[in-house]
Amino acid sequence: MKWTWFHRLGSPKWFYQWAERWRGKCLGLGIVLLVLGFVWGLAFAPADYQQGNSFRIIYLHVPAAILAQSCYLGMGIAGFVALVWQMKLAPVFIKAVAPVGAAMALIALVSGAIWGKPTWGTWWVWDARLTSVLVLFLLYMGVIAIQNAIEDRVFADKAVAVVSLLGLINLPIIKYSVEWWNTLHQPATFKLTEKPAMPVEMWLPLLICALGSYLFVAGIAMWRMQTEVLNRERKSSWVKEKVVDYGI
Amino acid sequence: MNYRSFLKSEWLTLVRRKQDTINALLFFVMVILLFPLGVDPSKAFLEPASGGIVWCAVALSILMAVESMYKEDFNDGSLEQWLTSGLSLPYLVFLKVFVQWLVVIVPLLLVLPLLANMLFFPIEQLMVMISTLLLGTPALFFIGAIGSALTVSLRRGAVLMLLLILPLYIPVIIFATGAIRAAQSGMSYSGQLAILAAISLTALVLSPLMAALSIKASMN
Repeated sequence: MKWTWFHRLGSPKWFYQWAERWRGKCLGLGIVLLVLGFVWGLAFAPADYQQGNSFRIIYLHVPAAILAQSCYLGMGIAGFVALVWQMKLAPVFIKAVAPVGAAMALIALVSGAIWGKPTWGTWWVWDARLTSVLVLFLLYMGVIAIQNAIEDRVFADKAVAVVSLLGLINLPIIKYSVEWWNTLHQPATFKLTEKPAMPVEMWLPLLICALGSYLFVAGIAMWRMQTEVLNRERKSSWVKEKVVDYGI
Repeated sequence: MNYRSFLKSEWLTLVRRKQDTINALLFFVMVILLFPLGVDPSKAFLEPASGGIVWCAVALSILMAVESMYKEDFNDGSLEQWLTSGLSLPYLVFLKVFVQWLVVIVPLLLVLPLLANMLFFPIEQLMVMISTLLLGTPALFFIGAIGSALTVSLRRGAVLMLLLILPLYIPVIIFATGAIRAAQSGMSYSGQLAILAAISLTALVLSPLMAALSIKASMN
């Protein structure tokens, strides 16, 4: 395996061109998978024997929750990379992904509340899992806030990297909250080591939804990163050429 | 500069710097989050305590918002412009506080039903909580405006301002939570609301004058 890709990732220009090629594919495939998964899950998957049709919100809730955590994990890693190797694209990644992750956390919280009303009889309980996801949302908002507050870009990048890295501590708490504490929230739907507890017709569309949202978010992230790269490299010659090509 | 252009520019500055408003809102949510996590997440505790929790969070986030309200104007010299503009300084202060109040209180009231529900506050009494907020928070803003004006020229004025102002917030908090508690136990609460309105009106009349005095003192 060649390691050149890792070095190349340090170059905004190379990344821009690479993202130009992959962005559309990721977005397209992601949307196709999402539509497929949602239609299958909402219309054709069998109803739950206890919860009836209300369980179907899982096809929105679980992918959003997974993505909210994955985005933060990515931001934490990018924060580490930014601080240790000072790669130019790591802060760009954090800046691009933070609002997307915040949106995912919000979707997870809201869909969870809507799901909780028929099954638990309440919109909200101060349960370990719910509260730690709320904290995750607040951490995202903190990252966005500090980004907007500091005008000096180099300092802002550093600060954001530190905050992202610090917030990683919340992820294991979210992950194990359902095992450490006795909670209302059910344990994880997917585990790498075991077969899911539900039948194939129920978890396969969920898996497709999750994969679809990963691809979709990856596409969105590339797109947002491209915009940010263009903004940051606006003084370099390749951006100028590119802009001139568009006739602006 | 006239009153209208002043009002417009104040409004535009606040609306364009959305992050400050969002920060006050996030702070509000986080203070509320501390109570169920730190004390007790059960309905038995939260339901009677919810009025007090919301009001403590509101008071703290308003302090946060008000603390730096003249900072920017002081740093870029706008405060001196106010003094030399020939307009009435108390009236300018009044307009500024009014805009601040509007920008903070509207988003706060929008998220309030959500948080009240999370604290198991009975939904039928939400209107009581909203009326205490509408009647009580102007007092918090106007009193805070004096403290902020007093400490504007100090390098580390924030803590000092909190120490000065927080004691003056206590009566408002007492009457507001008193009204909510009375409503929760089915008693009449109009007396407490009337006192809240009276405190706010007094603050509205007196505070711009005192804040103007403090600004003049700070500018020397």
